[in-house]
Amino acid sequence: MAVELFELQLEGVAVYRAFCRSKGIRSGTIRDWREIPALPTAAFKEYEVSSLGDDRCAVFYSSGTTRQTSSRHYHSAASLEVYEASADAWFRRRVAARMGGGRFPVLSLTPGAEVAPNSSLVHMFEMVRRRFGDSESQFAGRVDSEGAWHLDGARAEGALEAMRMRGRPGMVVGTAFSFVHLIDWLRDQGRRTELPAGTLVMETGGYKGRSRILPKTELHAGIGEFLDVPGERILCEYGMSELSSQAYLEQGVFVFPPWARATVVCPETMREVAVGEQGLIRIVDLANARSVMALQTEDLAVRHATGFELLGRAVVSEPRGCSLMSS
Amino acid sequence: MELPKYFLADLPSEAELTPTILADACETLKRNREIYLPEWSTTKLIAVFDQLGRDWLDPEYPFRKLALEQGPTATGFSRATLEHGLNSLFESLTSRALERLIVQDLGHLDRFDGFQASEVEPGNGSLGRTRGPELIAQISAGLIPNSTVLTILFGMLTRSAQVVKCASGAAFLPRLFAHSLYQMVPKLGACLEIVEWRGGDSELEAVLFEKADCVVASGSDETLVSIRQRLPARSRFLGYGHRVSFGFVAMDVLSPSLLGGVAGMAAADVAAWDQLGCLSPHVFYVEHGGRVSAEQFAEALGRELDRLEQIQPRGSLAADQAAVLRTRRGFYELRASALEETQMWASQDSTAWTVVYEADPLFQMSCLNRFIYVKGVSDLKQALEGADAVRHKVSTVGLASAGVRGEDLAGELAAWGVPRICELGRMQKPPLTWRHDGRPALGDLALWTDWER
Repeated sequence: MAVELFELQLEGVAVYRAFCRSKGIRSGTIRDWREIPALPTAAFKEYEVSSLGDDRCAVFYSSGTTRQTSSRHYHSAASLEVYEASADAWFRRRVAARMGGGRFPVLSLTPGAEVAPNSSLVHMFEMVRRRFGDSESQFAGRVDSEGAWHLDGARAEGALEAMRMRGRPGMVVGTAFSFVHLIDWLRDQGRRTELPAGTLVMETGGYKGRSRILPKTELHAGIGEFLDVPGERILCEYGMSELSSQAYLEQGVFVFPPWARATVVCPETMREVAVGEQGLIRIVDLANARSVMALQTEDLAVRHATGFELLGRAVVSEPRGCSLMSS
Repeated sequence: MELPKYFLADLPSEAELTPTILADACETLKRNREIYLPEWSTTKLIAVFDQLGRDWLDPEYPFRKLALEQGPTATGFSRATLEHGLNSLFESLTSRALERLIVQDLGHLDRFDGFQASEVEPGNGSLGRTRGPELIAQISAGLIPNSTVLTILFGMLTRSAQVVKCASGAAFLPRLFAHSLYQMVPKLGACLEIVEWRGGDSELEAVLFEKADCVVASGSDETLVSIRQRLPARSRFLGYGHRVSFGFVAMDVLSPSLLGGVAGMAAADVAAWDQLGCLSPHVFYVEHGGRVSAEQFAEALGRELDRLEQIQPRGSLAADQAAVLRTRRGFYELRASALEETQMWASQDSTAWTVVYEADPLFQMSCLNRFIYVKGVSDLKQALEGADAVRHKVSTVGLASAGVRGEDLAGELAAWGVPRICELGRMQKPPLTWRHDGRPALGDLALWTDWER
């Protein structure tokens, strides 16, 4: 199936075709999904990585701020259906299953879909609200005139308080930075909430300069302290606007659904590293039907038997030469 | 070979360096300076340094052997790169070069030893002699030892005691050099201390800055500003900020017969210290109009880098560093597949070297480790416009040009503010007399007494 989809994408996505041609890869030359050339995710910033034409109905931008060019991932009604089918199935199994049956209150610390229609994360949270959330569910973020996201602290606090009063476990979802904002807000107000036992927290994404950067352990400790949610009820998600599937953290290791395979490749040779070694994450996501399924990310990870341990973005560190490294 | 424990940096890592120990060490250095250094004439010092330079070039010299054996692990450079870098450094250290430097910076060879009149100063009967700071604190940055070693020697010439503070994990080569000096002349080594700590340790640095009367620091602009703010008013501060370099290849050397040689020189500049120094090129600007195109130069540069990789391989990188190179390469691979004005040549199955050709003359900061940009330009003027963003940050321009045109190009570069222009292939090999970032390195350490007779 991957090879068939590759052929379609080779034909339909011009930038991918040029990329493959430069590597001497043409139609009919790929026999195994592991050989499918992985397109650098930077392609989504520079070009239109899409086989869609007039049927485009949505575009997801990466959460990059206005300072950077954003990645653009185009969708049609049909590709959004694939996206949702993928996101729903894995969320249902890995996240919602831990909430027991039935609907539950979902508080999202991000803005809602009506003000952030181009965020794949918000789209997913909106889907979660629609499919899993009860009538109390809401979004507590807002967007400023420059497109930056902020937390409406009072609103979030009110929603948390309502959750506490009702005594039914719910879910609080948001980006890592929105949780930092929430913790800062509650600290400034001198407030703490004891959310009902069974409440689940799901945090995702990096910081991108929008809040203080907290190490994950500190962030989770803060969530424990201010929301009274224990570590084992805090889930982490790994996703990006360029993908249609998400990975969830399980015992320190991110795991994608079976239709999205992540491999960790050695940055020198671009071959898969051994278990325990570091490398760059490469993903083949079959749900990326109308863009490109094989993507080379810029994220570093350690390969584990069941998935990968995320280390973060590979950034140009200070040269080790003369003047820059002085510490 | 086991190094004796002469310096604080020799102590095992579990031994904690305290402000008191450091303060004591500074006082000892100052005392040793008073006792030992007066008996040393400039001529005698020059003879020692000349011998030291020759020793370090000797393949059997134990300190060199140790540097080459343990250096790859300690510094990340390959053995051949270290060998090449150390050769360049110590070949420049000769008595002739030292004499030239002193005369250049101070006007007379014996000005540290007594009052002298320089031949070029007006004959008004005025004499001058120089002395140095009592204690120099050198804040050294990075792994490339050249600047650190030379500042140690210049400090000896000014008869100063010196504490060299290395960046954490970067003391290996300065330590070896200090040991070699100590072994040759223990009394000179006793006026030198090597320490290592992570920059920003305010307690240790407060002691050091209190004790020293001159601070020579390399580092980022922020580091330099932070150091300067913490110095007492009486302290002299010599700061060497971060610099970038580039090359310019004029059309008159772009012929089929010269191409290999010119590209080979350019490749040597990229490979030296794995491109990690301030004198290493980020970009080669190549002038259009020669018989060989800028793209062909880029391709030839790739060939030369590939050849060098066989004999002087790039050091092995941690995964995160290799990932940066790979990611940057992926970006250009993509561009090259979509745009004609971008091309890329790169090592297979490794990140060992990468050449990116772009028609756009805008200066690009390389991610280094032998990742080089080649940019076609209509002339030097266009190259300098492209490099405008780094105008006041440039250290060196490697210039390849034939005949009289070189003078015009050098004039243009000087007017633009470039402190150093050299031949391609010599970017990482400045002579001892080099004026570091446009300032006389020895001259800036010296303090004068004028005697108007």
